[in-house]
Order: sequence, then C-alpha cells, then structure tokens
Amino acid sequence: MAKYLMEFSKRGTICYTSHLDMMRLFQRIFKRAGIGLAFSQGFNPHPKMSFAQPLSLGYEGMEEFIEFETAVDINPDEIFAKVSAIMADGIDIKYCKYLNTGSRTLSAMTVAALYTARVPAAEPLDGEMLVKEYLEQEKIITLKRQKKKKELKEVDIKPMIQRLNFSWSEGVLTMRMLLDQGSTSNLSPELVLNTFLPFAGIDADRSEITMTREKIIFSNPEITEQ
Amino acid sequence: MIIDKELDRILKKVEKPARYIGGEVNSVIKNPADVSVRVGFAFPDTYEIGMSYMGLQILYNILNKNPDIYCERIFAPAPDMEKIMREEGRKLFTLETFTPIDEMDIIGFTLQYEMAFTNILNMLDLGGVPVKSCDRGEDDPIVAAGGPCAYNPEPLADFVDMFIIGDGEELLEQVALMRAEYSSREEYLRACSQLDGIYIPAFYDVKYNDDGTVKEYVKLYDKAPDRVRRAVVTDLDSAEFPTENIVPFIDTVHDRAVVETFRGCTRGCRFCQAGMIYRPVRERRPDTIKEIVREQLKNTGHEELSLLSLSTSDYSRFEDLAMDLMGMCKAQNVSLSLPSLRLDSFSFNVLNEIQGYRKSGLTFAPEAGSQRLRDVINKNITEENIYSAVEQAIELGWETIKLYFMDGLPGETFEDLDGIANIARNILDINFRIRGRKGGRFRVTVSVSNFVPKAHTPFQWAGQDRPEMLREKHNYLSERLHVKGITFNYHETETSNLEAIIARGDRKVGKLIYRAWQLGCRFDAWTEHHRGDLWQQAMDETGVTPEFYAYRERSYDEMLPWEIIDPLIERDFLIRENEKAKEAQVTHDCRLGCVGCGMNKHAQCFHSADEDMLKHIGKEAASG
Repeated sequence: MAKYLMEFSKRGTICYTSHLDMMRLFQRIFKRAGIGLAFSQGFNPHPKMSFAQPLSLGYEGMEEFIEFETAVDINPDEIFAKVSAIMADGIDIKYCKYLNTGSRTLSAMTVAALYTARVPAAEPLDGEMLVKEYLEQEKIITLKRQKKKKELKEVDIKPMIQRLNFSWSEGVLTMRMLLDQGSTSNLSPELVLNTFLPFAGIDADRSEITMTREKIIFSNPEITEQ
Repeated sequence: MIIDKELDRILKKVEKPARYIGGEVNSVIKNPADVSVRVGFAFPDTYEIGMSYMGLQILYNILNKNPDIYCERIFAPAPDMEKIMREEGRKLFTLETFTPIDEMDIIGFTLQYEMAFTNILNMLDLGGVPVKSCDRGEDDPIVAAGGPCAYNPEPLADFVDMFIIGDGEELLEQVALMRAEYSSREEYLRACSQLDGIYIPAFYDVKYNDDGTVKEYVKLYDKAPDRVRRAVVTDLDSAEFPTENIVPFIDTVHDRAVVETFRGCTRGCRFCQAGMIYRPVRERRPDTIKEIVREQLKNTGHEELSLLSLSTSDYSRFEDLAMDLMGMCKAQNVSLSLPSLRLDSFSFNVLNEIQGYRKSGLTFAPEAGSQRLRDVINKNITEENIYSAVEQAIELGWETIKLYFMDGLPGETFEDLDGIANIARNILDINFRIRGRKGGRFRVTVSVSNFVPKAHTPFQWAGQDRPEMLREKHNYLSERLHVKGITFNYHETETSNLEAIIARGDRKVGKLIYRAWQLGCRFDAWTEHHRGDLWQQAMDETGVTPEFYAYRERSYDEMLPWEIIDPLIERDFLIRENEKAKEAQVTHDCRLGCVGCGMNKHAQCFHSADEDMLKHIGKEAASG
C-alpha cells in the first residue's frame, strides 16, 4: 500500500466532462496503465482514489490534484510516465509523488481556491472602483440551492470572498477571485458572478464567460511541494 | 482538439455537452489531408445510444485501420442542441474533427430500428446535405445505409443513395475505397451495384397495381442485379474485431468491453428477423475470443465484459468459455455479464458463481403464454423449463425474475393471455413454497411488447392486431396481473403500429416519413418526443394507411417490396414455416439436422464451431 498525489491540468474540450466522468476516466486510465489501485472493503468495493475538489463542468483547471492508493508500492515516476503516456487529450499530468498525510484527505485540507472569470465587456471598466463598491456592501445576498432539501435559500456570500480583483483590457473583464472552498465553508464562483454582474451593470450571457480554476489552496501548502 | 469560440459558446448552453466533443480514449485522429476517402459513420440517435452499439466500433476500427480512409462519427444532436444549431446556423459536424458532415465523401447510417428514420432526414438536413437523393449533386456526399432495417430498404429509398445489405466487415471498406476511383456519382454507384450486398434504389422504378401492391421492379440500369444478394462474412473467426474500443467519457447505455462470440441463430423462432437474416451460425474460436478480451480490457480499462450474440449459451463451447472468461475477469476486478441466456441449456452454478452475492434479475423470454402459441411461433421452451430454472434460481437467492412476452402474435386468443398471467402467478407460488408465506422481497416483472411483423420472416405475411385489439389485450392482462409482487409493463400501441407500417413499407412510406419529419417528428422511439398527432396528420396527408401496411394479411402471390433483397433464405422455407405455424407445428433446432432454409447453398453452417458439442446442446434444448 502506498499513497500518492498527482497534479494535472484540464484544458480544452475535455472541460465539458463532469466530475463523475473524470472519476471514471482516471480509474480506467490506471487500469490500462497496469497500476492496481487499492480497493475499499465491503459489499461494494471501490478504488481508493479521489480529487481534491470537484471541478464544475465547463471549467478549466490549471492546478488540479488527485490522490490515490495502490495495492503495491510503485515508483511515482513510473506512475507518472505510464499514466501520461495514455492520458486523454486535454489532461496534462505534471508530476506524481508520495503523499504522507495520514488519513486526512486532500479534500479535507482544502481551504480555498483561486478562480478567474473572463467576461466580455465592451466598455472600459474601472476595476478597482467596482471591487471597492461591490465589497463595501454590508451583505451580498444571493440564493443558493440547499444540498439536501433542494430549496433555494438566501445566503450572504460576502464573508466567503477572501479576495477579489478585476481588470479590464480589450473588451474582456478579467475577474480573479479567491474564495472559500472545502468542507467547512464553500463558495461557488457562480454565485459571485450572479451578484457581481448585475451590480456592475454588465449584461453578459453565461455562455460568453469562460471560467478557470487557477489554484487550490490547502491548509498545509507544503503537501504539493515537489 | 481546439474548437472555435462559437462552438464553445454553444456547448455552454446545452445539456451534456460531452456528447459533442469527441476526443475519447482510442478515438482516432488523422489528418484529413492524408487520406483519399472520408467516411462519416452516422448513428441516428444520441451519443449515449450510438456509442453502446458494437457495430459502430467494429466498422470504425476496420475503416480507420486503412491509411487511405478516415472514418469519423456522427450522432443525432438532442433537441436542445438542434435548436441552438439551427438558430446559429451551425452545421452538424463529426466528433473527430468537427468537420461539417457535408464535407464527407460518404455518410453511412446504421439502421437499427425504424423509429430512428426521421432522425436520418433531420441529420442530413442539419448537415446541409439535400435530404432527397434526387436533389444531390456531384459535390454532395454519397448517403449510404446498412444494418438490420436495411433488409427492407424501400421506405428510405428516396433518401439513401446506396444500401449495404448484410455483413459490413468486408464490403464497407471496399465501397469506401472505390469512392476515390470514380469522380462521378453515377459511375460510382453503377460500379458498386455490381457487388453482392449493394442496392442502389435509383436503378429501379417500382410499378404498382391498382390495389396499391407492388406490380414489378423495372430496371433503369440494365446491369443492376434482379435481386440484391446480401453480403456474408463466411469466416467470422478471422473477421476483424476491435480491441481498441473508444471509451466514452460520459455514461452511455452500455459502457463495457464486448466480444461477439458468434453470429446467427439456429432456433428458428418465426417472428424473429435477426434469427433469419444473420444465418448461418458462424462462431469465433475460444482462443480468438479470449485474445480479444485480453486486448480489449488492456486497452480500455473497462470494468465490465459482456458477450454479444443472439443467444449466449448456444455457443458450442459455452461452459468452458464462460469459466475461462470468469477467471480472467476475476483476476482484473472486471464483472462478467452474460445477456440472452437460455437457462434451459445452461448450468446454474456457472451463473451463480458469476453473479456472486450481487444478484441482478434473471430474465426469461417465453414470448407466449401457452404451449400452443409457443409452438405457433416455434419458441421451443416449455413451462417446465421455466419453472425448474426459476426453482433453482430462487434456491440460489435470486429475488427478481423478469419475463418477456409478446401480444398480438398470429393466432393469439385470450386463453393464451391467461397463460401469461398463470406463468407469473405460478412463479410467485414457487417462491412461497420455497421461502415460506412471506416470500421475501421477491418480484416478478412481466413485460409485454406488441408483435410487429418483420420482413424476411415466416410471419412477414401476417396482419398486425389493430390498436383497439391491442388495448383490449393490455387491459385484459392488467386485470389479471394486478397481483402483489407482480409488475406489469407493456409497450405503447401507437409506436408498435407505426413500426409495423415502416417495417413492411414500400417506397410510398417514404413520403410519410418525409412529411412526418417536415412536421417536426424526431426521436420517435423516445416516449417524451414521440408525436402521435403529427404522424396521424402525415398519414392523412400522404394517404399511407395502417390498414394497408400494418393490419393487412398479405397473400403468397403478392410481390413484397423487400423481395428486391435476397436474404439467401428461401421464400419456400418461409412459406413452409408460416403454414406450419398455422397448424401449431414446431420445426426443430437446425443443429439437430438441416431444416432446409437454403442458407447452406451459400455459406458453411457452424463454421468454426464444435459440431459435436452443438448437437449436444441442441438435444438438451429440444428435450428441455
């Protein structure tokens, strides 16, 4: 048994696959690469493999992480080489290394993520001013669908926004947002868009906006150091 | 693959955009400039359904192995995607290179079920290809079609330039390569018409009698064959089979490794088109199968393996094969699934071991409720067969039994329907007997589909039950199957009726399909998209009536529209079988001796099979 972490990026058309599709893809890639994953015990054994955070359908991911356990110890460089060789187009594996975090999962250690939204905006905008005004609101209220009840509930997202900055250049508004992410507090960048765009008077269709997750921040950043 | 901004924007608006992006593991990327022929392999339904179809993987693999050919995939966009594509003027494109389909040299549709036909017209239209053959010019692709429904090509004769009848493994590559040799469409089609298995509808003019039946086929190209003989791959063992299957990103209907163990069936059920048109039985050798399995699992990473054939356990060395495959699968954490098992010829212990503690349902297809009617349709399975199998299954812990029946079979009475209810109840009783009064969570599901007479079967002359009658039968069954522990499902009458019209249609039915498509019919096999009102309107406007095409019993004197195709099964055999059906006489399984369908004049029956074992299984099946 050995535990590993692998970093990868997800770009291009493959971004239209979902989190579940990615789980299936990685499982099959490991199988094809001849890397035997460890399985959970029980009636419905499943391979021990998970992503740090699910990436929404349609989003690019620049620094994504997957952790997994193998049945026998295999050299990480070997895993890296075998998986890279057969990986689907659009997923680039950056490296693979041993992970020594005990029983804590990457998901449990995730505290924030940095997203970039690129929004078409024909008129020049004063980014600094807009951010200031947007964040100066006492509360930023929006509707969020409850996980279990499926009902919409009002939430104040302001405390979950760690940092925002906006810049405008040549018809594109680039919004960079550092948001709470993880099991204790989690904010979807979609909710920031939903509140910010009307606030700034930007009328852009969602299909015109591209979303990128630049980075996932962990409580102990050293785990992703090579 | 880099896509343009416009398409990227479209993909953000639609459901399941991954249906449209290609790029899956093992999908083939070539430079179109490097090949001489580009083929678009089109499945007239959504990605999830099309990718579950093995024929696509077989032909994709064969064509792409040839460096001169590039085969790309085309699927029907879902209604939300179609709407946006039409609004934005985006042509239907291939998944491999996002090329508009009108840039293909050949577009080949596979015809798996009649209810997908409007999608074919729609896909051509969305791709900027003239829907009717007669409107296509030299720059347009050749529109080809093959698959089981091509055995009655006539309803699509106005839209398809070239039909490919029979096994496509060798023929498709041949006609693809020939496309590069001829610059004119006419010359190309003429050359192709000389091959077995190629039917060019434009080379024939159909004359009709006053009563609407076919009078004769007049040839418009004198070298076109009088009848088109289907293409047969005589040695399946050496035929290509893919080992680098495309592995979809998204969940499809069947997402698994698949090996075809044999083609054809010896049972001779009289309603079954597949049982007739895929003759003779040709097997793959066990070693070939195992090698394919090994390679496929290695190249795909699939977690499930399934065997493909018309009747899994009729494979001559089935038990040995099942055991060997089970061993291979267990070692790799792969589950083995064995569809279309006939439990009369199969050791339960094997099944038990395969399924282990995770027992999915057991399925039986008695097809008819009484022994008399089972004899009529030549389904050689007795109630004792079923009960003894069910008894074993219950003892081994199975909790769901599924039963498939048909209603509306020729000569069916309400007593036969009583038989359906009795079988279901008897199975419940068996469970009570074995497991006591409470019987656990045991369930019997009864699914009844409406009989649709198909071309090239002994029942091709039969009339279909009228909708009123089918509804009465459904009600009758509903009352009798309203029992705790039994679930009863039945198929919609309207679709079965339409299917019957198209399945035995002539060229005039093409007008109906065209009109229905114009009115907006698509995805007719999908209950949520089926528009009975529009089909009715199209029938009224085109004068195509179910009276003539569905309910009417044909006489042996009539020339049937699909007889332009020679399935290599003799007409006399079909007549003989139909007459025996009327007397409720059975015909034995042809492993026990030739029954004279005529196939052996064209190809060797039981190629690569262990014939002693075949006879053994046949006898077991016959004795129950």
